[in-house]
Parts: sequence; C-alpha cells; structure tokens
Amino acid sequence: MIPRHFQITIALVLLAILISGVVIIRITHKEEALTLQAAEAAPVAPVVGGKQEHIQVLLAYDDDQALRWRPADVFLPADRGLRARETLRYVLSQYLQTPSPHPLGKGSEIKDVYFISDDTMIVDTTAPFADGHPSGILLEEMTLTSLIETLTANVPGIAKVKFLVDGKERETLAGHADLMSFYQTAAVHELAKEFE
Amino acid sequence: MRWSKPGIAPAAVALFCAMAIAGAVPGQQLTVYTSQASYSPPVFDRGGKPYIAVADLLSPVGASAPHLKGKEWRLELNKAEARFTAGKDKAAIRGQEADLGGKALVEDGRVMVPLAAALPLLSRLLNTTVDFHQPSRRIFVGNVSMRFTAEFKDGDAPSLVLNFSQPLKLLDSSHEEDHSGLLLTHSNKTTLTFRKDPLVSDLNKQDFGAGAIQSLSFTEENGTASITVTGNKPLQIIRSEDGKTVTLQPQAPAVAAAPEPAPQSIPATAESQRRGSEFFVMIDPSHGGNDKGASFGGKLVEKDITLRLARELRKELEERGIATRLLRDSDIDLSLERRAEITNEQHAGLYVAFHAGRPGKGVRVYASFLTDPQQPLASRFMPWESAQSGALGRSQIAARAVSDELRKKGLTVANLAMPVRPLNNLASPAIAVELTPEIDDPQSLENQKRQNSVAAAVAAAIAQVRSQLGGRP
Repeated sequence: MIPRHFQITIALVLLAILISGVVIIRITHKEEALTLQAAEAAPVAPVVGGKQEHIQVLLAYDDDQALRWRPADVFLPADRGLRARETLRYVLSQYLQTPSPHPLGKGSEIKDVYFISDDTMIVDTTAPFADGHPSGILLEEMTLTSLIETLTANVPGIAKVKFLVDGKERETLAGHADLMSFYQTAAVHELAKEFE
Repeated sequence: MRWSKPGIAPAAVALFCAMAIAGAVPGQQLTVYTSQASYSPPVFDRGGKPYIAVADLLSPVGASAPHLKGKEWRLELNKAEARFTAGKDKAAIRGQEADLGGKALVEDGRVMVPLAAALPLLSRLLNTTVDFHQPSRRIFVGNVSMRFTAEFKDGDAPSLVLNFSQPLKLLDSSHEEDHSGLLLTHSNKTTLTFRKDPLVSDLNKQDFGAGAIQSLSFTEENGTASITVTGNKPLQIIRSEDGKTVTLQPQAPAVAAAPEPAPQSIPATAESQRRGSEFFVMIDPSHGGNDKGASFGGKLVEKDITLRLARELRKELEERGIATRLLRDSDIDLSLERRAEITNEQHAGLYVAFHAGRPGKGVRVYASFLTDPQQPLASRFMPWESAQSGALGRSQIAARAVSDELRKKGLTVANLAMPVRPLNNLASPAIAVELTPEIDDPQSLENQKRQNSVAAAVAAAIAQVRSQLGGRP
C-alpha cells in the first residue's frame, strides 16, 4: 500500500503540472494576440529606404470642405513604384492621426501600387480604406482627389490612376465616389479646383 | 451599349423560340408590377396546371440564375436564398419552408413552379408586401398600384373623363371593328387595355344611360387590365399632355372626315413612337435596403431622407404636369448599375438622384465629371463609363437651373462637377442633389419644410428648362 504522505505528494505534483500547463497556454495565447495586433498595426508593406525629400502634399480639410497644399519631409526611394506608394502612404498617415483633418477608418492603408503601362497606375488599398470610409459625396471625392493630386505632383509621368480595394474592383468608395473608372490625372487636376 | 434597341429584336425572337420549345401557352402571361418596371413572364401548362419559370419571375428583380448544388437548385436575391428540389412541392425560402402548391419541375436546366408559388417567392425574397390577383394573373410588388376615377358629363356633347392617379406609361386601344389603327371607333364598344400600368379598381360596371356613352366596366384578365366603354356612337379618345387624363367623347363629324386625326388624338402607331420620346423625370432615391448610405446618428440614415425627398419631388413635378418615375418607392436594394440600366432603357428625359451628406450646410448640386473621357466606339455605342458624355451639356444646364432656384429659396448652394456614381453611366441628362445638415444639426435633414422647399425648387427648375432637355415646354 502506498503511504498517505506519498499520495499527497503525487497529487500536489500533478496539480502543479496542471496549473503550469494552464498558465503556459494563457501566456502563449496572449503572445499570439500581441503579435497579431502588432502585425495588424504595422504597415502591410515593408518600410523602404531612400533619402528624405521636401515635397508638397494636398490634404483634405473637412471643416472647410477644402483641399490645401502642405509641405512635408518624407523618405522617398528612387524606384518609381515605391516612391508612389510611400507618397500615398504619407497622405493616409496624415488622415489617421488624432485629431485628423479628414478622418478615415482605422486600418486604411495602401497595400501596393503597380504600373500596368508606363503612365497608368493601379493603387491597391486595404479593405478598411473603403469599408471604414465615411459615406458622403464630398468626403469621398476629397480623399481620391487628395491622393491623386499628391501622387502626380511627386511622381511624374502618371496619366491615369485606378483604385482597387483589397485587390478587387469596387463600384464606389463608400456609396458615392466612382471607383470603377480610371481617373485621368489631368481631369483630376481640374476636379481639384472645385475644392479651392 | 447596354441599352441598345437593336438588342431587343433578337431577344424577343429568342424568347418566342424558347416559349415555343418550352410549351408556353400561347398568349398566356403573368404580369408583375414593381416600382421600377413591369414585366410579363410566360405561363406554361404542365398537366393542366399553370406553371412559370423561376428565372423568368425573379431575374428581372435581380435574382441570380438558379444553379444546381447537390440535389437542390438554388438562387439568391437580396442576400436571401431560395432552394428547390425537383419533384418536391416544398421549397426553402430564407431558410423557411414554403408550400409551392405543386411539384417543382426541372426542364433543360429551367426550374418551373406552379403559378401560385409566385406569391411566396416574391414576398419572402423581396421581403415586402405582394398583392396577387391570381385569377387575372397580376402581381403588385409593394405599393405600386394606380387607380382611376370616372367623371361622366351628359348633355349635347357628352364625355367621359378618366383621371388616373399616376401618368399612364402605356395605353393600348383596340376596337372590335376597327383595324385602321386610329383611336376613332367605328363600333359601339371601345376597350382601353393597360398592359404596363398597375391599374386596379373596385369598380366593376357603371351605367350612364342610353345616350352616346352608356356604360363603363373594368376587368382584369391574362395579366392586363381593361376599361371598356359602350355607347351608340364611335368614340374619340383624347389623352392629356401629362398622361394622367383620358377623355372619351363621341367622334366629331369634322374630325371623322379629316384625312388625319386631330392633333390630340394619337394614332396607335404613332403612340408607340411617342412613348419613347415622352419626357419624364427618373427620380432616384439613392441607397436603400442594406445600403443605408451616410449615417447621421440615431436611426437617421441617408436612404430614408432620399426617399422622402424623391416622393416630394414626384408630387411637385406631377403638380406641374411633368411625368415622373421613381427608381425605388420602398426600402429595397438596387445596385447603382441597375439604376443606370433602367434609366437608360426607359430613355428618361432627366435623371435626378437625391443624396444627403456631410460636411457643409445647404444643398450641393452635382453634374457629372468624366474622369476618363473616351471616344464613342461606334456611332451608336458609348463606353459605359462615359455614357454621359453626350448629355453633359444638358446636365450642366439642369444643374445650374436647380442651383438658381434653390438660391431663390434662400438656401446656401454649391454647384459642383464630380464623378458621382452612376452619373457617368447615364445617357440622359443627369444631376445629383445632396442635402446637407444645417450647422451641426443632423435633425435639420428631417425638416419637412426644408425638404419641401428643396423639392419645389428642383421641380420649378426642371419645368423651366424642360424644353432645353428635350421635352416640350
């Protein structure tokens, strides 16, 4: 027969193993959650190098329904596509700040940009960019005009731009602004005058 | 071009062939009236029982084509699903069992159900009230029905005036002994047949005596409604400019002798041509159904504001004798592309979309802005994304006129050009009118007086520039 004190010892050891297991599982889950959270908060594309440049960006100001050029110092790579992406990401970063002149949904980001010809660019955005965008004709048009004008001012030679959402075509940004069409940058330059 | 007329003839031939092959009962049809359009799927005889094809019934309201999954045929409409099994008399609609009134049949990939099943299918999938006049095979989806009153004037020049609650879209006439195609009758019986208008009436028959106009009766059968007027003389039919009044009166001898009918009398052949060019305003209450549009706190959402504005504009325009059609008159889903297709197919004289949004105050009036102007592919075809290019000048005229009228009402107005979907997809003149809240007061969007003021200004502007948009002044 096993002595009583030995039974108690074994029971305590088993209990300790059980508690340790539970604690380890919880810590692991917490780590995973933190990692996931960090991944979601992080840019979807790697940060790229480049030299700091003094550029002009066209920002939307909801309060006075206007777009205004503002100076900015941004690290921009030499590659044309990366330069376009970083320029657009800078504009969105201004809108994601608190307080924001033109608030956008959390997680709004430029996933990628690519040229389908020398002068035609596709801008692929994250789903929250459209899903979380405030609905309204003016608000939506201000966002698109701000992005396209800033892009053409800092990346020469772009004649047409089209936006995708999470790799797919979408009819409108948030119920109003046309996302199916290609935007001629020259036409958008005229459109921007509506916001002066 | 998605709205090209040349496509209609082959489609009609294909439909006729399909009907012949499928065994449709010649001439037998069901008519479904919705706020957007009316359509008439053929009725088939299967074992002495009337059947309809599910696709014919539901595709025009936006359902997907039925597809086979396992043993079940499935289709989707408004994110709701209907499932049918060949040989079963029950279907699952929105997850609930529904009695079809007979077995579902599958013939060459077409799912057929008894005619009676049209009611549960439409009402549950569209999630709206549906009124089914089964003996006459007429279905009214939502609150679409129109009514009429009859006013008989006796005397030396008797007349019967029929006043309709909405402008007539189509008016066909037939006369038992008249094959001339004119609206002048040569018999004692004149029948007005309403194939596209959702006309209903509680009136069966009304007698007026033994004179030139003796009685009026209303009947419904085979997907159509008819008003039959009897008398002892041939009758002349005069339709008012706004399409809401039809007057029947004994044929005047001078008119009968004239080589051509009087200007107001519309030859049946010319009538069909005039239908296509009749000026009407297509009013689009933007958003609807699951698409709420902008939210303004609480339960105040854009889709409800736009519908109220649209109804108000309809009232204002009709008071001015201008025909209107609403793209939606209830809380339904309707894609932007479909809105453009309907407007183009029906050849609207002007498209007016209502919106409500922040920021700002007052009203913003938008004409289209072509983001990527393209040349037409051929003389009769335009790219979908720049279909507006041929009408842009007239759209700008309409937008300026609306802005001017709104300013006269003391409202703050901005006149803008923006690529608002679906303006660029429309072949007709098109504008969007966006109501914005007064400073930090979203409730001002619900202000009835303000809404009336906006609708009245838009209507006044349209009446003013109607002739420049292609309509008669």
